[in-house]
Amino acid sequence: MIGRLRTGWRTWTAMVLALVRRALNEIFRVPGAAIPGILAPAIFFLGLTSVFGSLTLLPGFDTHSYQSFLIPVSMLQGAGFTGAATGVNLARDIEQGWFDRLLAAPAPRPVLLAGLVLSASLRSLLPATFLLAVGFAVGVHWPGLLGLLLALFLVMGMAVVAATWGTSLAFRFRTQSAAPLMQIGMLLAVLTTTAYAPQNLLTGWLQTVAKYNPVTQVVDAARQGFVGDVTWANTWPGLVTLIGLAALLSFFALRGMHRMTT
Amino acid sequence: MIDRLATNARVVAALGRRSVIQTLRRPQLAAPLILFPTALLAIQTAGAGRAINLPQFPPVNNFLSFMLAGAIVQSVMMTGNSGAIAFAIDIEMGFTDRLFAAPISRYAVVLGRLAATAVLGAIIAVYFILLGLIFGASFNEGLAAAVWIIVLVAASALAFGSIGAAIALRTNSASVVQGIFPLVFVILFLSDAFFPANLMLDPAGWIAQYNPLSFIVNGIREPIIAGWSLTTQLKAVAAVIGVGAFGLTLCRFALIGRVRRGV
Amino acid sequence: MAAIETQQLAREFEGSIKAVDGVDLEVAEGEIYGFLGPNGAGKTTTVRMLTTLLLPTGGRAIVAGFDVAEDPGAVRRKIGVALQEAALDPLMTGRELLQLQATLHGIAKKDGQERGKWLLDRVGLTLAADRRVGTYSGGMRRRLDLASALIHRPQVLFLDEPTTGLDPVSRKAIWEEVRKLNADGTTVFLTTQYLEEADQLADRVGIISGGKLVAEGTPTALKADVGKPHLELCLVEQAGREARAEEVLARFGTPLPARDGTLMVELEHGTSEVGPIVVALNQAGLDVESLDLVQPTLDDVFVHKTGQHLEGASEETGETEAIAE
Repeated sequence: MIGRLRTGWRTWTAMVLALVRRALNEIFRVPGAAIPGILAPAIFFLGLTSVFGSLTLLPGFDTHSYQSFLIPVSMLQGAGFTGAATGVNLARDIEQGWFDRLLAAPAPRPVLLAGLVLSASLRSLLPATFLLAVGFAVGVHWPGLLGLLLALFLVMGMAVVAATWGTSLAFRFRTQSAAPLMQIGMLLAVLTTTAYAPQNLLTGWLQTVAKYNPVTQVVDAARQGFVGDVTWANTWPGLVTLIGLAALLSFFALRGMHRMTT
Repeated sequence: MIDRLATNARVVAALGRRSVIQTLRRPQLAAPLILFPTALLAIQTAGAGRAINLPQFPPVNNFLSFMLAGAIVQSVMMTGNSGAIAFAIDIEMGFTDRLFAAPISRYAVVLGRLAATAVLGAIIAVYFILLGLIFGASFNEGLAAAVWIIVLVAASALAFGSIGAAIALRTNSASVVQGIFPLVFVILFLSDAFFPANLMLDPAGWIAQYNPLSFIVNGIREPIIAGWSLTTQLKAVAAVIGVGAFGLTLCRFALIGRVRRGV
Repeated sequence: MAAIETQQLAREFEGSIKAVDGVDLEVAEGEIYGFLGPNGAGKTTTVRMLTTLLLPTGGRAIVAGFDVAEDPGAVRRKIGVALQEAALDPLMTGRELLQLQATLHGIAKKDGQERGKWLLDRVGLTLAADRRVGTYSGGMRRRLDLASALIHRPQVLFLDEPTTGLDPVSRKAIWEEVRKLNADGTTVFLTTQYLEEADQLADRVGIISGGKLVAEGTPTALKADVGKPHLELCLVEQAGREARAEEVLARFGTPLPARDGTLMVELEHGTSEVGPIVVALNQAGLDVESLDLVQPTLDDVFVHKTGQHLEGASEETGETEAIAE
């Protein structure tokens, strides 16, 4: 009945999809648990635009709509928290012994990681979509189809980066107490960019940090359609950043997974 | 009467000390309550710092001096929420029932928890005052301002903490208390914790003018960026008393309800 | 070929903690091997090494013909694992869990579904198959855990304390299942701290203490080695008179460590000594309140080898494995 146990791309894809399905269970089976994560980015977006909205009156601010300026940041923040939550859930699974079950199975380690990370990128679409609905309702500019798809794609990419960050920390610390570190890391990564104002209007240390923070490229790329036109020149740095960060953090995550058995 | 007061005071002090030690012994849980607002303070000061050039922005030396009060209040409210969660966990575990079954005043049990929140609020105030001084905030009214701010913050922490404690007593659930955490930020955004109310977009700007938290924030902010004003400080004290009275009344009803429901 | 073979298997943790210290054991194909020891003895650490969840720091281990350190992937394809905590996702149904396990073992979807259905029936969970695991009782979770360890027909099955925390009825159900599996040809490596479990199930038993294998053999042979029956007795107004009692008992055999206030002596010349012992105690002014003649158990084997009781030795040895884990 069983025959030889299969390997190969099709089998690994089936393994990844099975793990994604399991990770998405929480949203469909305990929707109450997912609601805060979906609502939070929208609450912060509305709050911050209400508070800092008149910054657009400053000379050098290249848009009059702070909502349009800020919404990509809120979307990326949401992706960051979703990814961090993946790390927290993994830490819980490790603490409770569930992850041992996966480690003892013959599924390759990169496949296990891919399952975790892909589920985060899909989950990130939920808060992003809700946020966009709220944003358009309060006057965010329509970014065009290209701008919209680009922003969502970058959100998914950011969720992958955040998930690899969260899982690296989960393998390192193996406890849910590391949750604040997972969350604050992503928060700082997104906010120490041109999150609140364009580069020329930032002051002090933030002006320097934002210049060199690679996530600034992602923020600027996601923002394009909402404040102007989408160009390849402003897009490719963000894509390269996400690919690079995801690759680097995946290396640390896989190393951490390997170290769980040493 | 005096004996009873003395006993209650001892209970409040003992339980308060326990809660403070509980918080300080878990730095991994306590640190974010200070680190997160500190990080936001640094980022928002540098990110929106040029706002001081906007017409109608209150005259300040730098944006940090303006924002400091907001960071203090944010940290205090997060700490209050965290204290309420810890209280709810005590209730879930049955520790609070043990206290309620002892020959001590139930209000003293609740006040003990709130006293801890007030002490932590004072520690937070000291931290941010020192931080502000290091990074260039100027305190117009000097040491007296600092002392007054610490007192006002401790009282605010107790006042807002009482609302969280009431929710914990009513629901017996740490996850419900945790669920109200986003509301902390909603209240903050609908005040002038981070920006002057007259420069905020409506309806948030309009709400901020009447939000009791705004009066408290202005009470903390005023001695830093300007001189004392009796009106502002009285409004701040009135807001603290109002919020505290509201929260403590809710606690009273929650305690009565517990006995009636047998929970 | 042995199903499991270890040569000087060792695991040292930070702080020079030797959780497993040079264990040599061999488990034949088709055998049920009971690995017995108190908490902290090194049982779980040994199992984690054999199931590739932990790398040995010394020695080697071959499971189903593959080295656990050099070819862990191959080992994982041949083993089934049900660990100490029946760690199951409470949001999944029993059926979904088995399907996930099948997918992770590379089993084709249809084959996995059929096999899952068969296993659910085998462990008596068909009616609960589509309920969430979070609603299952402890016994049901253990049975599901067992089923998920069997989804790919492993050659070797590792069960780490499979009945800890279960009521007697559930425990017996698990034992029955283990016997059936073994009858089908599966080699079973079972760790337990329950003597009765090892006695009932195991073809051979290995006893581990402080990271070392202190005894190995069939339960019958091990008990026969220890050999002698012992007497357990309590005296009237015993407090403060144990030393005098032990002096008397020493004339008839070897006094054993007292347990829960019960005095014990190993009888040199068998049950005929019971009468003379009572008389001797009476003559020394010590009246017997209760008396029990006990044949050797695996705990006696453990006492014989280590000087401590197996049940109740946990508190002293628990620290090592707790640190190690």
